[in-house]
Amino acid sequence: MGTERRIIRTSWGHDGCLEPLYELEDREDAILVTFDLPRVRKENVEINTTENTVEVMAKMSDAVCWERWGSVQKRICFQAFRKQIRLPEPVDPEKTSASFKNGILRITLPKVRRKVFIPIE
Amino acid sequence: MTSTVMGDEVRIAEKEGVKHKNPIVIEGLPDVGLVGTIAASYIVERMGYKEIGYIESDLFPPVMVVHEGKSKNPLRIYGDEGVVVVLSEVAIPVGAVYPLTEALADWVKEIDSKLVISMTGLPAANRVDIEKPEVFAVGNSEEALNELKDKQMELLEEGFIAGPYAIMLRECSKRKMSAISLLAQCFPVYPDPGAAASVIESLEKFLKLGIDVKELLEKGEEIKLKARDLMRQTALSAPKMQKGVEQDIPIMYR
Repeated sequence: MGTERRIIRTSWGHDGCLEPLYELEDREDAILVTFDLPRVRKENVEINTTENTVEVMAKMSDAVCWERWGSVQKRICFQAFRKQIRLPEPVDPEKTSASFKNGILRITLPKVRRKVFIPIE
Repeated sequence: MTSTVMGDEVRIAEKEGVKHKNPIVIEGLPDVGLVGTIAASYIVERMGYKEIGYIESDLFPPVMVVHEGKSKNPLRIYGDEGVVVVLSEVAIPVGAVYPLTEALADWVKEIDSKLVISMTGLPAANRVDIEKPEVFAVGNSEEALNELKDKQMELLEEGFIAGPYAIMLRECSKRKMSAISLLAQCFPVYPDPGAAASVIESLEKFLKLGIDVKELLEKGEEIKLKARDLMRQTALSAPKMQKGVEQDIPIMYR
């Protein structure tokens, strides 16, 4: 089953959703995630975060269709991007911020860190 | 096909009857932002270049691409008598870079190319804020450098370069051939049609093909969608390709 999943794992689904390209950067105080979202407008992007995950749903301004798509060889249309990412460290969802410019979504997720001062003897 | 064996590991095959007249060879292999790949595909489409050959190797993934029911090699050569375009629809494994560039350099020497131009990207952290990507150039010889200065190209003065285009410069130098690289500021891991458009505009200074990039920019979002999987493959091989070194400062920096 595991092998089958690895072979047929795709970056798209039959539900009309594509997996967007993304980049995760682990910085000192925050995790920065960017997504490439062509054909998407800012008002159609939805972001949900928990302490350990960030999920993006983005509806395209118009669907994109291909007549003979990859291994299915049938007409297929996509109208949205969807991706959930598991984060490498806990973040504070309340302090998360995001910007969107030229199709690039940038999400800054501040890390949850309890700082303890260590005196030097 | 007439097979031209260029080495034990990489074979370049050309169609029978293909003629060359000191062609300019344009290389657009997958790299950051897929700048070269997008630019090369657009040039081939706009100029209506015919497929004139392919490149095969046991070092490449065991993959063929199917177009209109026919299987094809993912690394193909297009062109006419005066221009040759080399492109790939799969990422180049790092282990294939040296044999591939050696074979390509041998072949471009054999066809008596007057200039080899690699099109690629230069990762820019602030790419999202750049309206029109700038293009920087690198030459492999005094002659190439003079050509770049003559064309008023902005030079990449200092730094490291990594990937097939970097080794292509070296292999051409070894064979006393002029080669240049054109690098457009780009997104590192997202397909960048805007950067490809900039590189094509710079290419015009050398080739005068009269290619209008308007359609490339208009179809940019569609191209980005189609290029996602190749971008993903290419990004996976980037660390092995030492692409990170391009952000480093050389010790001899003046």
